[in-house]
Amino acid sequence: MSKNLRVKSSKFIDETTNVSFKFNGKTYYGFKGDTLASALLSNDVHLVGRSFKYHRPRGIMTAGSEEPNAMVQINDNTALTEPNVRATEIEIYDGLEASSQNCWPSVNFDIGGVNNFLSPLLPAGFYYKTFMWPASFWEKYEYVIRHSAGLGKSPKEPDPDIYDHRYIHCDVLVIGAGITGIMAAKTAAKNNLKTLLLDEKNELGGSTIYQDSDHVKINNQSSSTWLENEITELEELNNLEIKTRTSVAAYHGYNYLLARENLTDHLSKNDAQNKIRQRLLKIRAKKVIVATGSLERPMVFNNNDRPGIMLSSAVKKYADYYGVATGQKNIFFTNNDTAYESAISLNNKGIKVEAIVDIRKNPNSEFTKGAENLGIKIYRNYTIVDTHGYKKLNKISIMELSKDGQSFANSNIITLDCDCLGMAGGWTPAVHLFTQSGGKLKFRDEDQVFIPNKYPSDQISVGSCNGDFELDEIINNTSKSLKKFLNINGTDFDNLDVQCPKDKEIRNIWLFPSNKVLGKTKPFVDYQNDATAKDIKLALREGFKSIEHVKRYTTTGMGTDQGKLGNMHALGIIADTAGIKVGELGTTTFRPPYTPLTFGTMVGRNVGEYFDAFRRTPMNDWHIENKAEFENVGQWKRAWYYPKDDETMHDAVQRESKAARDSAGILDASTLGKIDIQGTDASEFLNRVYTNAWSKLAIGKCRYGLMLNEDGMVYDDGVTTRLDENHYIMTTTTGGAANVLSKLEDYLQTEWPELDVYLSSVTDHYATASICGPNSKKILNKIIPDLDLSDENFPHMSFKNAKIDNIKCRVMRISFTGEHSYEINVQANFGKSLWEKCMEAGQEFKIMPYGTETMHLLRAEKGFIIVGQDTDGTMTPIDLQMDWIVSKKKYDFIGKRSLYRSDTMKEDRKQLVGLLTDNPSEVLEEGAQIVTNTNATPVEMLGHVTSSYYSPNLNKSIALAVVRGGKNMMGQKLIIAMENKNINVTIVDPVFFDKENVRLNA
Amino acid sequence: MLNYNTSIKQDKIYSDLEIKEIKPIMKLIIRGKTKDFITTIGKNLNMILPIEPNTSTAGEALTALWLSPDEWMLISNKTISEETNTYEVEDNLIKNISKTKLGAITDVSDQFVLINIKGNKVFDLFATGSPFNFNEFKNKKGSVTQTILSHIDVIIHLTEINNVNLFVRRSFSEHLHSWLNDSASRL
Repeated sequence: MSKNLRVKSSKFIDETTNVSFKFNGKTYYGFKGDTLASALLSNDVHLVGRSFKYHRPRGIMTAGSEEPNAMVQINDNTALTEPNVRATEIEIYDGLEASSQNCWPSVNFDIGGVNNFLSPLLPAGFYYKTFMWPASFWEKYEYVIRHSAGLGKSPKEPDPDIYDHRYIHCDVLVIGAGITGIMAAKTAAKNNLKTLLLDEKNELGGSTIYQDSDHVKINNQSSSTWLENEITELEELNNLEIKTRTSVAAYHGYNYLLARENLTDHLSKNDAQNKIRQRLLKIRAKKVIVATGSLERPMVFNNNDRPGIMLSSAVKKYADYYGVATGQKNIFFTNNDTAYESAISLNNKGIKVEAIVDIRKNPNSEFTKGAENLGIKIYRNYTIVDTHGYKKLNKISIMELSKDGQSFANSNIITLDCDCLGMAGGWTPAVHLFTQSGGKLKFRDEDQVFIPNKYPSDQISVGSCNGDFELDEIINNTSKSLKKFLNINGTDFDNLDVQCPKDKEIRNIWLFPSNKVLGKTKPFVDYQNDATAKDIKLALREGFKSIEHVKRYTTTGMGTDQGKLGNMHALGIIADTAGIKVGELGTTTFRPPYTPLTFGTMVGRNVGEYFDAFRRTPMNDWHIENKAEFENVGQWKRAWYYPKDDETMHDAVQRESKAARDSAGILDASTLGKIDIQGTDASEFLNRVYTNAWSKLAIGKCRYGLMLNEDGMVYDDGVTTRLDENHYIMTTTTGGAANVLSKLEDYLQTEWPELDVYLSSVTDHYATASICGPNSKKILNKIIPDLDLSDENFPHMSFKNAKIDNIKCRVMRISFTGEHSYEINVQANFGKSLWEKCMEAGQEFKIMPYGTETMHLLRAEKGFIIVGQDTDGTMTPIDLQMDWIVSKKKYDFIGKRSLYRSDTMKEDRKQLVGLLTDNPSEVLEEGAQIVTNTNATPVEMLGHVTSSYYSPNLNKSIALAVVRGGKNMMGQKLIIAMENKNINVTIVDPVFFDKENVRLNA
Repeated sequence: MLNYNTSIKQDKIYSDLEIKEIKPIMKLIIRGKTKDFITTIGKNLNMILPIEPNTSTAGEALTALWLSPDEWMLISNKTISEETNTYEVEDNLIKNISKTKLGAITDVSDQFVLINIKGNKVFDLFATGSPFNFNEFKNKKGSVTQTILSHIDVIIHLTEINNVNLFVRRSFSEHLHSWLNDSASRL
C-alpha cells in the first residue's frame, strides 16, 4: 500500500480534479497539474527505472528537463508509444500509462542488474577494448550488443498524431519566463516591440513563483506575490504573445530559432483527438533575450545515484509547488546556501529535515542561521562518503573533510538515517542556447561557472544564465542590460527595493574524497550513461587529453540529457586531475536540440500526401477516369501507361506503341517546360544559349536545340519556335524547366545585361496534346477544319496559330516519335476539353492514349535522346553523335570553348550507340555494364546501357548505350555481363526505325 | 466548343476563413525597362505601374502587381468570359508595346490560379507554411509578395485587410488548395 505524501495544498495544481494513471501496470492517483514525477513521489514511488549500463536502480532526481534518470516509456504497445519521456516534464492525464525502461522482467527485479556486480569488468572503453578480437566474431558481438543497446522502445506503427509547423517573426524573443524573462518581456512589449515569450513549463514565473521565504522580498512583498502581479500585468499587453509548454530546441545563426510547442501531451486521449499534438515554431527574431536560468549541480561522491537522492532545488519544488514531501527523513548535502533555504521551506511545511551536511567551514548567512534556529543539525566541513539502500536510500555515511578538501580530518564515520538526500552543488548557468548560437563563454573562477562573453548576434543573456544568482543582482543587472539592449531610458524595475540574504562563503569540490580506493567506488558524473569519475580518470591515464575525446571515450554528456547535470563535473575532474584550470579546458559543444524533439515535430504536416508537392496537368482527371498508372517525373504526376483489363505494363506499352505507329496515338505533353522569349535580341540570345544557329530561323518555323553547360556537357534540349520577329517559345525537358529558366535569367542578369530579352515561364499556361501516327493529320483536320494541313502550307518543324471554336491555340508540327505528329497547345483550362475532343475525333481511327513509357519506347526506336537518361552530365553533343547540331560558324555559345579541350575531343570518350542483342527477344537491363572480356581481372568496363525496350514495331529488343570509343566500333560484338549470364550484343547505329524519316514527312 | 475546366473543385468556408477560386481572370506579364515603356503603358491602360517594390496599383478595370524592377502582372479586376481567350487589353498592349519594341507582353491567364482567401485567420494560415514575414504586409493594403507556401512558389496580394489574392501555378494549385484546406481545418 503506497503512502500519500501530499503535505499541503498548492495553488499550482488542481486538487479538486483527481487524475488516474498507471505506472508499471499499477493504478495511482494524482491531481490535475501534477507531473508524472510529482504524482509518483506523492505515492512514495522513488524507484522509476534502471541505469543504462549497470542497471542500477534509479529514482527521480530533478523537477525539470535536465532529468537524467526518470525516463519512462509511455503508452507502451500502442502506436502512440514514446520512449525516454522525462517523468519530470510529462503532466499526468486520465488514462496515462507509463512504464520503466531498461529493465527486465521488472524495475524491482532486473536481470540486467548483474552488470552492477560485473562493473569492474566494464570500464570506460569496454566495447573498444573487448570486441576487437577475434575479428571474425564481430558479427556475433554486434548481434548481442544491438539487442542490449538503446533506451526505450521505438513505436512500430505509423504515428497517428498530427504535428504542424508555424513561422513566427518578432521584434524580441524572450526565452524563459522566470523572473528575468517576465521583466524582459514586459519591458520589450511596453516599448512597442512585438514580443514573444516562451517557457518550457506550463506556468510562468520560474522558481520565484513558488518562493515563500520571509528573507526574500521585493518592494516589501514576498517575491512570489510581486511576480504574480507582474504576470497579471503581462496579460494586458497587446504586443506580447506568450507560449507555455514550449521549449526552444535550437538557436541557429542570425537569430533563427526552433521551438517545440506542446499542445496536447497533457491531455487525455479523448481530449487530444484530432488536435495538433506538437508544433515546431520557426522563429526569426530581431533581438533575443535569453533568460534560461541555471541548473543546480549534483555532487560527485560514492553511490550518489540511489533512488531518493535528488537535487535540493527539486526537493523544494516538489514541496512548494506540488505540495509533495519527497521524504520523511530529509538530509541536505551542500556547498552553498540553497540547501538551507530548501530545508527551511520544508520545515515550514512540517516535513522533517534531519540534518544539513555542509562542506564549508563557516557558513553564516540569514538562511544558515534560520536553519540552525529551527533545530536542524548542521555538519560543517563534512562530506558524504557513501550512501546505503539498494532500491531506496536509507542511510548516508559522512566524514569530516581535511583543510584542502582532498582527504579527511580524521577517520570517524558518522552514519545518518535518511530516505531523501537533497544535493546542492551550486549552480550552472544554462548557456546551452547561447553557445548553440555561436556565443563564446568565459570562465569565472570565483564561483566556477561558464558565463556568456561574446555574443554572435543581437542578443543578451540575463539573470542566472548570465551568472547572476542573487535576487538583487538579478533584478538590477537585468534592468540595466535591458535598457542598453533595447535602447530605452528606463524600465519598471529601476527602483525596486530588493531584500535577499547573501551567500558569503563559496567552496567547490568536483570529486569528493572517499574512504575507499577510487576503484571500489561509484561516484557518478553522468547518471544517464553511467559514467563515473573513475572512468574519466581512466581515460586521462590512457592518454585522452581533449575534453571532446574524454567525452566520447567515457560517453559523458552523450545521453538524451546531453550532460546537463554532469558536464561541469567532468570538466572539473579532468582539470583537477590534469592540474590545469577549468577555464583553459573549455567546454564540449552544446548541440541542438536542447531537449529531444519527436520526429513528428520536425516533419510537421509534410507527411502522406503532403510529403512533397505534386503537379497535375490539365488533363489529369481524364487520365484518372481512364485508369492510367502514373509515374513521378520531377514533381509531376504523368500518365505512365493505360492498362486495359489485367494488362501488365509491358503488354500495355506494346499495345500503345503499335497503335501509335499503325494509326494514331495521343500523349499529354503538357509537362514540358515552356519559356516565352521576347525582345529585340531574342535571336542573339538563342544563338548564345544553344549550340546551333537561330538568326535565320523563319517566323513560323521550329528548330531543335541542344543547351550545354559551360563545361560543354549537354544540359537540356527541346524545340523552340519562332512566333514572330522578336518572339520565340522555347520548350525544355519536363524535369529541367525550372533550372533552365533560372540559368537563362542568371545569364541575362549577370553576363548579358545588354541584351533586350525578356523571359516568362508559360509552362502551366498551356495544355499540350500531342497527336502522332499516320492518321494524325486526319484527326487534326476534324478538330480544326479550316487549318490548311498540306505539307506546303504546314511542313514538318513549323507552327500555325489557329482557333478551336472561339479559343485561340497554337499547333506545332513537331515529333518526338518519328511519326507525323502535331502538338496542339491551348490555354490550360481548355486542356481537358481539347483532349476529349481529340479522343472523339480520333475514335474512328482508334486513337490510342499512350503514356510516358510508350513515348520512351517510340523515341528510342528513332534514337532520340532523353537528357538525363541517355546523358549524365558527362556527355558532349559529339559524344551523342550529334555533331550536326554544333555550329562551327557561330562566334560563341555556352560551352563552346569546352568542346575544344583535349579531353572533350578524345576519340575514346564514351559515345552513344545502339545495341542489338543476339537473341532478339532478350531485353537488356538499363544500367547494365558493357565489357569485352569477362575473364580479365579487373574487368574493363566500357560503358553502360542507358535505354532498353522490346520494340513491337521492329519485333526485337533494342537499346541505347554509351560505350568508350563506341562511334568507331560499329558492328563489333560486346558482352553485357549480368549476374547469372552474359548477353552478347552488337554495336549498331542508334537510329533503329525509319532512318530516312519517311514517316515523319508523310 | 471547348469547355472551361479549372483545377479547383470546391470553395471552402471555415470559421474566420473563406477559400475561394476567382475565375476566369485575365493575367498578363508585362515587362519593360524604359521610361517610354512606363509612359505608354500608362497611356494605354490609364493607370500608373507601381515602381515601389512589392506594391500594386489599381485602376478601374485592372490591377498591376510589381514583381521585379522590369516585370509586372496585370490582372483584370472582374471575371471575364469563359468562352474566349482573346483579350482586348492584351491585343492593345501587343500592338503598342511588343510591336513597337518597348517591351514584352505575355498571356499567363491560365499559368496562375487565383485563390481568394479572406477572414481573420488568413495570416495564421500562411504562418503554417510560409517563411515570409507578414507583420508589415498585412497592414498595408495593396502589398504584394512573392514567397513560398508549403514549398510552392506563390504571389500574394493584399486586396483589403484580411483579404488576399493568392496566385499559384496551375499545376501546383490542386495540391496547394488541398494543403490550404487541411491547414485551415486545424487552425
